[in-house]
Amino acid sequence: MIEFINNYFLPGLILGSIYALGAIGVSMIYSILRFAHFAHGDLMTFGAYLAYAVVVALGWPPLAALPFALIGTSLTALAIDRFAYRPFRKSRPIVVVIASFGVALMIRAAVMLIWGVQPEPYVTGIQAPLASFEPLRMQEKHLVILGTTIVLVAALHLMLTRTKMGKAMRAMSDDADLARVTGIGTERVVAWTWVVGAVLAAAAGVLTGIDTQIKYTLGWDLLLPLFAAAILGGLGRPYGAILGGYVIGIVEELSSYPLFGDDPLISPGYKTGIAFAVMVLMLIWRPQGLLRGKVL
Amino acid sequence: MLVAEGLVGGYGGADILKGVSIKVDPGEIVVIIGPNGAGKSTVMKAVFGLVEPRQGRVTFAGADITRLATEQRVRRGMSYVPQERNIFVSLSVHENLEMGAFVRNTVPRAAYDRVYALFPPLAEKRRQAAGELSGGQRQMLAVGRALMVEPKLLMLDEPTAGLSPRAMDEIFACIRAINREGVSLLMVEQNAKRALALAHRGYVLSTGENRFADTGAALLANREVAESFLGGVG
Repeated sequence: MIEFINNYFLPGLILGSIYALGAIGVSMIYSILRFAHFAHGDLMTFGAYLAYAVVVALGWPPLAALPFALIGTSLTALAIDRFAYRPFRKSRPIVVVIASFGVALMIRAAVMLIWGVQPEPYVTGIQAPLASFEPLRMQEKHLVILGTTIVLVAALHLMLTRTKMGKAMRAMSDDADLARVTGIGTERVVAWTWVVGAVLAAAAGVLTGIDTQIKYTLGWDLLLPLFAAAILGGLGRPYGAILGGYVIGIVEELSSYPLFGDDPLISPGYKTGIAFAVMVLMLIWRPQGLLRGKVL
Repeated sequence: MLVAEGLVGGYGGADILKGVSIKVDPGEIVVIIGPNGAGKSTVMKAVFGLVEPRQGRVTFAGADITRLATEQRVRRGMSYVPQERNIFVSLSVHENLEMGAFVRNTVPRAAYDRVYALFPPLAEKRRQAAGELSGGQRQMLAVGRALMVEPKLLMLDEPTAGLSPRAMDEIFACIRAINREGVSLLMVEQNAKRALALAHRGYVLSTGENRFADTGAALLANREVAESFLGGVG
């Protein structure tokens, strides 16, 4: 049992945290700006490398570099929206989707040019497992990842339920036309949506780096599970995206559990296929997602 | 207060409005009636800036607002309740009212109290999701949301569509109460006889043009209007 938790459930929880943070942005951007943001994974990559730059330049621990990554990625997302997406606000959604595809390529290329193509860890050297949690093999970095996720999700919850702008984001996600009729300043809501999406994406990128290492394809590789998580939870439902992220993360890790005999249930090489399968099945059977979101 | 002159336009393609003029004076209830496809809802949208007229002019409180953004119209004291999808279903009742007051920097408690006093069922359900309300209560919330900016002119697009007779009575009573507080109203209504009985003045539209314009009582008494637009004399 403890083996199961250490080798499958705990890694699933860590992976799920990263998926959840990324999927919230995908889900909210879809429902408020009405397009699938293909550059979201690359915002994660960009945030991860901003933190890396601070870690390398100042010798700070990655967690201390996190605020810089969040602020830098938010400003970048706002600039991207201004120049790449806003001109297409009144176009058909597919136009903006393609624009976001172009932005994804540009961010990735910029990361390659600036930081190179070699994978880099934030901190070199071996980290010992935290002894006090025996027999749970939980490392300090796992606590950092789970703790950061909890803090960010709590902050998001407070924003969405306690602030005027957070409520306006929910309102616009609910019905953008009615939001306009009501006099809600939709461009301001859009700007805050980018800030929230970018902060969570950058955090997910940095947490990935804290967990393993960063490379220029970090976010792009996570795009499929992010969309799967957002769709699973219901598009436009931030709490659904969190749920979807954890379900996909945990299911991906559990899929290689040796349930029968000694062989993994599904070869770990097919892990990413799980997210794809979940997404396809959801789109067929329950396109509105678990928490009744928008239909693609 | 509101003057719309010679509105021509529609949603791209063919013109739905072929030169409609509407006027609302301070303190009035003005009703627009007419058969389906007459352009009643389109007039409302053109007045509120949701449809840009190809020709014509809209002035509100003396200023030309023909090309003004919707948000700015709300700031100037216009409020609009669409016929369908007029509440935020995933927000609570109270949050819907908060969103109604979005353009105001500070919202006095009195603004909420006024809406809750006008619609007591909403006060009981203020923490509930708006999506759980009954048809009549949804309509109350939609009107309440629109009242949160304390508008000078409240525009209602078929506020009683699909409601039970009892809910309809309640809505009509509320409209009268809102008007007594000094709010002018412009409304489109299927229930033409009852609406005209309530209205100070009415307009009859047909195929995108003005056909009749008179006081509510005079339109009700007009044989031609009664036969063509009110389903016979009765």
